[in-house]
Amino acid sequence: MSLLEIQDLIIEVGRAGAPAQVVAGLNLCVERGSTTVLVGESGSGKSMSALGIVRLLPRAARIKGGAVLLEGQDLLRISEAAMCDVRGARIGFVFQEPQDALNPVMRVGDQIGEVLTRHRGLRGLARRTRVVELLEAVGIPEAGQRLNGYPHQFSGGMKQRVMLAIALAGEPDLLIADAPTTALDVSTQAQILTLLRSEQQQRGMGMLFITHDLAVAHQVADTLAVMQAGRLVEIGSHADIFERPTHPYTQHLLRVSPRIQPDLAPPPLPVEAEPLLIARGLCVRFPGRRGLFGRIITQVTAVDNVDLIVHGGETVAIVGESGSGKTTLGRGLLRLLQVDAGSVNFGGREFFELDRKALRQARRDIQVVFQDPFSSMNPRLTVREIIEEGMTAQGLGGSRQGREQRVARLLEQVGLEAASIARFPHEFSGGQRQRICIARALAVEPKLLVCDEPTSALDVSVQAQILTLLRTLQQEMGLAYLFITHNLGVVAQIAHRVVVMHQGRIVESGPTQTVLFKPTHPYTQSLLAAVPRLP
Amino acid sequence: MVKPVLLPTDVAFLSSLLLVGLYFWAVRRDLLMRERWRTVLATPTGGAAALILCLYVAVAGLDCLRVEINGETKSLLDYLVSPLREHVETTYSAPFAAYGYAREVIPGASGAARQDYPRLRYGARHLAQPSRQMHADVLRRGMAGAGLGLLFLGGLLALVNRLRGRPLAGMFTPLTESTWRLQWLTAASICLALGWVICLAPYYHVLGTDKVGNDVLYLTLKSIRTGLVLGVVSSFITLPLAVIFGIPAGYFGGWIDDLVQYLYTTFSSVPGVLLIASAALSLDLLLQQHASAFPSLLARADMKLLALCLVLGLTGWTGLCRLLRADVMKLRVAEFVTAARALGTPPLKILLQHLLPNTFHLILITTVLDFSGLVLAEAVLTYVDIGVDPSMESWGNMINGARLELAREPAVWWSLLAAFCGMLGLVLAANLFADAMRDAFDPKLRGATSPSSS
Amino acid sequence: MTYLIRRILYAVPILLGVNVITFVLFFVVNSPDNMARMHLGQRYVTEQAIENWKHVHGYDLPRLWNPEAAGTGHVTRTIFYQNSVRLFMLDFGRSDGGRDIGFDIRQRMVPSLSIAVPVLIIELFLSVAFGLAVALLRGSYLDRWITLLCVAGMSISSLFFIIAGQYLVARVWRLAPISGYAGGLESVKFLVLPVFVQVISGLGANVRWNRTVFLEEVSRDYVRTAWAKGLTESGVLSRHILRNALLPLLTTIVVTLPGLFLGSLITESFFAIPGLGSYTIDAIQSQDFAIVRAMVFLGSLLYIVGLMLTDISYAWADPRVRLAET
Repeated sequence: MSLLEIQDLIIEVGRAGAPAQVVAGLNLCVERGSTTVLVGESGSGKSMSALGIVRLLPRAARIKGGAVLLEGQDLLRISEAAMCDVRGARIGFVFQEPQDALNPVMRVGDQIGEVLTRHRGLRGLARRTRVVELLEAVGIPEAGQRLNGYPHQFSGGMKQRVMLAIALAGEPDLLIADAPTTALDVSTQAQILTLLRSEQQQRGMGMLFITHDLAVAHQVADTLAVMQAGRLVEIGSHADIFERPTHPYTQHLLRVSPRIQPDLAPPPLPVEAEPLLIARGLCVRFPGRRGLFGRIITQVTAVDNVDLIVHGGETVAIVGESGSGKTTLGRGLLRLLQVDAGSVNFGGREFFELDRKALRQARRDIQVVFQDPFSSMNPRLTVREIIEEGMTAQGLGGSRQGREQRVARLLEQVGLEAASIARFPHEFSGGQRQRICIARALAVEPKLLVCDEPTSALDVSVQAQILTLLRTLQQEMGLAYLFITHNLGVVAQIAHRVVVMHQGRIVESGPTQTVLFKPTHPYTQSLLAAVPRLP
Repeated sequence: MVKPVLLPTDVAFLSSLLLVGLYFWAVRRDLLMRERWRTVLATPTGGAAALILCLYVAVAGLDCLRVEINGETKSLLDYLVSPLREHVETTYSAPFAAYGYAREVIPGASGAARQDYPRLRYGARHLAQPSRQMHADVLRRGMAGAGLGLLFLGGLLALVNRLRGRPLAGMFTPLTESTWRLQWLTAASICLALGWVICLAPYYHVLGTDKVGNDVLYLTLKSIRTGLVLGVVSSFITLPLAVIFGIPAGYFGGWIDDLVQYLYTTFSSVPGVLLIASAALSLDLLLQQHASAFPSLLARADMKLLALCLVLGLTGWTGLCRLLRADVMKLRVAEFVTAARALGTPPLKILLQHLLPNTFHLILITTVLDFSGLVLAEAVLTYVDIGVDPSMESWGNMINGARLELAREPAVWWSLLAAFCGMLGLVLAANLFADAMRDAFDPKLRGATSPSSS
Repeated sequence: MTYLIRRILYAVPILLGVNVITFVLFFVVNSPDNMARMHLGQRYVTEQAIENWKHVHGYDLPRLWNPEAAGTGHVTRTIFYQNSVRLFMLDFGRSDGGRDIGFDIRQRMVPSLSIAVPVLIIELFLSVAFGLAVALLRGSYLDRWITLLCVAGMSISSLFFIIAGQYLVARVWRLAPISGYAGGLESVKFLVLPVFVQVISGLGANVRWNRTVFLEEVSRDYVRTAWAKGLTESGVLSRHILRNALLPLLTTIVVTLPGLFLGSLITESFFAIPGLGSYTIDAIQSQDFAIVRAMVFLGSLLYIVGLMLTDISYAWADPRVRLAET
């Protein structure tokens, strides 16, 4: 008998009148002491399935049929009270966002201890000792003191370790991890993945691991199940899926997933082109604590003395983990936030010395595309108004008709139908929205496009399409890109040169081939070592 | 001599309605907004509330259009309900009464005076022997009223079916659709009430009469205008203040923000009623000094109402301002605003094109909620003696009078009941409408997790 | 500590602003001459009587700037300065009717508090209990009906609750005296009805607000974590949801705490309770500006104290907040 057996699980969302099946008949087994990974893009129903197993679906969703057998016992047919004895004791759960998943006003030790009291009946000193053991097991130093801390005093990775300690506290037979590393940096991700894997093997637990990232799956999986649109399309052993995928969707996913391979990266530009942007000694500081009368006492330096050159028609990638200052650098270059020191020469003009009016005009040459395709467009405007905004502000495109033709041309350029012109952003998918954002930036004919994590919120297949689009546009229009990202796989596909940032400073820079495959700085080396890779 | 008269509050109220109309005209092509407004109306309570609000607005609107004929100013509403207005008794009388509230000395036929309840001058005048005929008569007229009401409803249904392009045979299908049932029930109740009023009110004092013999139903109808004017006009004074202070404070930050924060902390630190009372007292004194500037009692009372709206508006902006500031501070860092800055869009255009439309739902919801608060405040302020003029019909004045009326023996309860129902209808409708709007425009509270019971 | 000093310093300009508002309302919009005339009766007033009245109340000085006085007297020998400084010293002076306002306020505080405190406690208890119950049953028919009932309760004028309460409880059922007040233990029987009426009239709005707060907490991720731990409903509720929901509740309550002294205007007036609320109403009705001004100042002072207490209590209750950073 398998540890967990899911039979024909059906989950519906939406009103009773117009239900939609997000999980349409899932069959899956998890064995003791092995890890099953459920892979799928957003909307494939993988998270819903995981929540359905422990009956913690959002209110809008409900289980319509099937069975979830935990050692032969159907969890969908036991009482809520009995289910409470299963959750935490026999099934541990690790959620995606460590930021929100911990109670902000409860001491970390109590949040773990609660499980011990509930399922193991431990109290007082025994409970405390066990909490310390658990914290040490998940790799939290000085556990004796840290258990009195509150979640906000822990970093993201540390919070996820606490979350794991909570899940392990009841000594469960099955651990469900719902994309536990998505919100974390690569190096933290590597640590958490190793930790999960070793705990699972030590305790002989079964693990159901949910992810959208095939490279992560490659690292932890014994068995892989691929989901698409609520259905399981392929299931097989690690070797089956990665070496002999049979289903076209699996093959497609493997093909579009970014890899770090030398032959993919574009070579550095052959001729030394004219520098388009020269930044010297950029510093950005944020106020920390303030004293009496609002005097600033401490400062946080987000960007520390950075030099940067971008040539016309070139793609420079800025790589770094969260908090490295890469986004702040991008906004500083755009003069979207106050820069404390340094200069930026853009196309021969000192960008930081322009007065307000000249700045508004100069903004034409340097545009930006953001990460979040949902908040990057005003939901109240039509696509036409969105794309026209820059033209109106810069006085381009002439008459109303002229502008309209231009909008239509731009839409075509980014691969959207001209009929989209009168529609509103919410009618488009994430990838389409990102295309509209690119069209909006291109409308003022910039020379440099700052792309701030433009594909991070997208599924891999959509990401591949957007990257292709960006490359095509570069060839057609001779655009230069400043590509800010944390994803080294994307860098390998698009960048001519790479700049690695760490704690506000540039630690290494050079042609992509060199930085990614012959890194010299220890930080770059450790970063590259942490990236999960596909064969 | 016929000439139209427009009092200042009439102008303010009607132009406020015009602005609301303009808003709907402006968003009609915005699919998202249309969908959301449809959701509001399709929510049973929201749709029903909208119908009731429309009824109130219609009555108040009719009451705002006046003409002066031979030196007497009357509104369209006055003409429509002229029997109610003209049937003035000498003092209190209970609903559907044929006789007065108190015994009076009545000269008998033989000349000998006796103490008895007098026949009312208008109530049940058409009946020779009220005590015997009344039940049958009320029932008959009631049935006729119900019939008339059903006729209205039938007409309405037919009209809607025609507009939706449904065949006449399916006329009653809207009544069976569960999403629209409550809305139709409300429409039916309104139609029935209209039918009854038309058939019964000219012959009886349906809601009794007050101390000086005025028909309470008439007073209630007239009070609608006072309550709505107060709520709507005050809200429209509040809006620009809150928007002009709140949105720039949130967007620009810095000294503008400090200044606005200082302003609203100062204003909101003064206890609300006291601030209103102080301002109203001062304005009242000012009006007293310039009493001669107003040609009639009506004009003076109206000026006092306008002054009260002004006071309520000028003191009421802090809440919305604070909300807007907080919301804009969140929106300021939204990527579409950053993108607009990167495109070189001037700040004023960012405020108008990006920030204002995206905070509009907040403005709408808060305004409707504040509106209901203002209608309620009228009663309290009138009690404190700083509300509307005692000569003006208002629920506050009616409730205020009811305090003493209840102490009478037997208690005079009908004024209070009428004012209570009139007010409850309006405020409840506004609150429910605001709720439905919040659900449709701000669906933050959906999708909470809980264990699903299978 | 720095925080407290900063807050106190910040309070000064606000109180000054409040004084400017009342000053503008009472002395600029209406001249002291008008006030005197009004107090002494509209018509048969001699110039001399007006001057006397103004002198007695200190209104015979220039408003903002005294050109006749020497040195700092330019500023200090004015109505604005004299009034503001006195108020900042918490010396409320004498009312236009000639009574000592400070003494009155001290005396009338007790009845106000003896209504406001029980109301606050009972209201809090009931609304949290109901709010929690409704939040847990969300989506059910009971939830829908109670919510509707709450909205209906919010839509009814508080005057109606008072009038109906007095009529039914005191007149028809004769369970409590209709109005009045007595000192000591005797007061309980007079307080029952006003407290009851005030609790009822505030219940709708409070239950609804609490329901929203609880619902917002219920939908958070950490609550899902708590369920995933296998905690029972009561465990999730008491240890997680309630504790977090108390934070927003705390802000709404603490800020009102100092204001309790001021009492409820309408309730006290209707039930003839000699508290600060009815004091204010009487002052408004008799147009006694000195009292209104004093109450405005006191009200804003207490509000600012309330804001300060809110911040402090937040820092105490929420581990994420530290005062130095606010």
